[in-house]
Amino acid sequence: MAPANRSTGNWQAHRASSGVIITPGLSDQTLNRGTHQPAPPTAHDCRRASRIRALIAITVMGLAFLAIGGQLVRLALQGQNEQHIAMSAPIATAFARPDIVDRNGRLMAGDIVMQSLVADPSVVLDVEEISAKLPTVLPDLSPDRIREALSDRSKRFAWLRRGLSTAEAKQIHNLGLPGLDFRPELRRAYPLGRSAGHILGFVDIDNKGLAGIEAYLDKANSVEPVHGPSLSARPPLRLSLDVAVQFALEDELSDAMRRYEAKAASGIVMDAVTGAVVAAVSLPGLDPGIADERFEKSRVDRLTAGTYELGSVFKTITLAMALDSGRVGPESMIDVRQQLEVDGYPIRDGHPAGHPLTATQVFLKSSNVGAGMLALAQGADNQKAFLERIGLTTPMATEAGPVAPPSLPARWGDIETVTISYGHGLAVSPLQFIAASAALVNGGHKVTPTFLRDGDNAAGYAAGNRIQVIRPETSRAIRDMMHANVASGLGTGARAAVPGISVGGKTGTAEIAGAGGYREKAVISSFLGVFPMEEPRYVTLVSLFEPTGTPETGGEITAGRNAAPATARIIERIVPLLGLLPDKKHP
Amino acid sequence: MRILMTVAVFATLASAFALYAVNYETRGLAEEVRQREQKIEKAHRDIAILKAERAHLSRPERIGEHARALGLRPATRDQFVAYPLTDPLQSNVAR
Repeated sequence: MAPANRSTGNWQAHRASSGVIITPGLSDQTLNRGTHQPAPPTAHDCRRASRIRALIAITVMGLAFLAIGGQLVRLALQGQNEQHIAMSAPIATAFARPDIVDRNGRLMAGDIVMQSLVADPSVVLDVEEISAKLPTVLPDLSPDRIREALSDRSKRFAWLRRGLSTAEAKQIHNLGLPGLDFRPELRRAYPLGRSAGHILGFVDIDNKGLAGIEAYLDKANSVEPVHGPSLSARPPLRLSLDVAVQFALEDELSDAMRRYEAKAASGIVMDAVTGAVVAAVSLPGLDPGIADERFEKSRVDRLTAGTYELGSVFKTITLAMALDSGRVGPESMIDVRQQLEVDGYPIRDGHPAGHPLTATQVFLKSSNVGAGMLALAQGADNQKAFLERIGLTTPMATEAGPVAPPSLPARWGDIETVTISYGHGLAVSPLQFIAASAALVNGGHKVTPTFLRDGDNAAGYAAGNRIQVIRPETSRAIRDMMHANVASGLGTGARAAVPGISVGGKTGTAEIAGAGGYREKAVISSFLGVFPMEEPRYVTLVSLFEPTGTPETGGEITAGRNAAPATARIIERIVPLLGLLPDKKHP
Repeated sequence: MRILMTVAVFATLASAFALYAVNYETRGLAEEVRQREQKIEKAHRDIAILKAERAHLSRPERIGEHARALGLRPATRDQFVAYPLTDPLQSNVAR
């Protein structure tokens, strides 16, 4: 109304603002302007005007009442809207995490909303009733703990149990205990249980990542702090792991642990070209959802958290070093008839050949003397430089966290050079070792292990900026030796042969160093496998910790009798899962 | 002039009612939006739980057991052929 008034003049505005009452002064003006004949208002006029005023007032009031009545009826019919009170105070800060999926998009870890049981001690009527009834639903919640949580009546809040299942929450609700309440919270679910638990890592009670890929998510700023249970809208993190291959590896390794009565086992399948880890298993496994398992020493991740002297599988590296120097060829003769004496320590072979061996035969027969002589010919400095070049002496880290750094000998003299040549005196984590081995068979370029499918590594390899660490010819020669070790029937790895695919590899049986020297019967037997040999795509490393001689192995504990056949069973099972076509060329 | 005034007054009242109605309608809509958002949130939560349950139920460990009970075994090399078939007579299909 206001703008219209302004344009039509002051008097009208006055009139409008005072309703329909015409003030004497104004009416004079109006009459003067209109008729030039001032006529005093008659009684009739006054009555008429008041009637109109009353009519208008009645109409307005009537309409207003009608509208209010109508609205009341409408609200009554519609039902009253609920009252909502928004609590914006940050009570408990939670963390919304994106899902973790495998390379094919299968869920490995995800947030779900679960009910947590809380209590308001000041409202609780009967502590004894709660401490008696609640354990009927939650048997592991002791009455004493409930009494302790509810003892302080001045408090308004106490957690009783976080992360209830829907069924448990319902049962507790049905108990009808005053003072208890539920609060929805984000909880991390690991639907696969122990599968890949070591790599996934785990979170704390507030959903914050503590280890493994979960900690990586926090570091990569993919985790949002939230108030209340709101799920993360971020895209899932895609790992390089394959749930199917991971399970096949777990299944075969636990079978191997039973067969060979080993205390523990570890296995890894890695893309030889990109370093993407397709499966990584350390048994006994770890369930990220069970907090107590994290501190059990036997459940340590043997692939990354421990360093081990891996034994003769190291000869692959020694041979690569010798061949890459250009001074030794696969057919170079090495005289292994005499035992090697270095710094007063005798080095001998378990089964001496009795005649000179070629470099290839040193590899196939796994001759310690031969490997030692090849390493001595290179010298300690060259060996150190070569191991550094392929990444075996410097600490390494992956997305799943830092890898246990290699334990190098304090003094690196001739005797250390010889022992390292066959895998003693230098302890590395299996993950670091397999990454170095991948470079030996993939044409010679360095490999950085990764657990992400679309990480920086993939981009790096696609762009072609590969770091060459050994010559392609050396890599080819190493492949031939590894293939011959399995396929020729002369090597230690004959039991790793798989029908339908060409496999290469190297065995290693390492005595475990204990207090005051090596323990005779306690070994780690490992098999480093490569397939398919025409164009290596995958490398595997299977390690059995302290296997026992069984009738199946003829009472032996060497890798050729346990780790090699276990690798064969693993490869046979995962070849179709990896999309490789078994070929009838390989019987 | 009177008529104009009356019309203006009624127009004012009418627009006031209209405004009131629109205001109420807006509040109703906002409430509806809030309810739908809650439903979406609930659906998201349900989806998250269902996804986790599906992943738990379809874990290879469990499927393997069921498959073996049905008499299925892991694929063997005889069950694979190169595609397209280069020589049907030599392929595994022909046998």
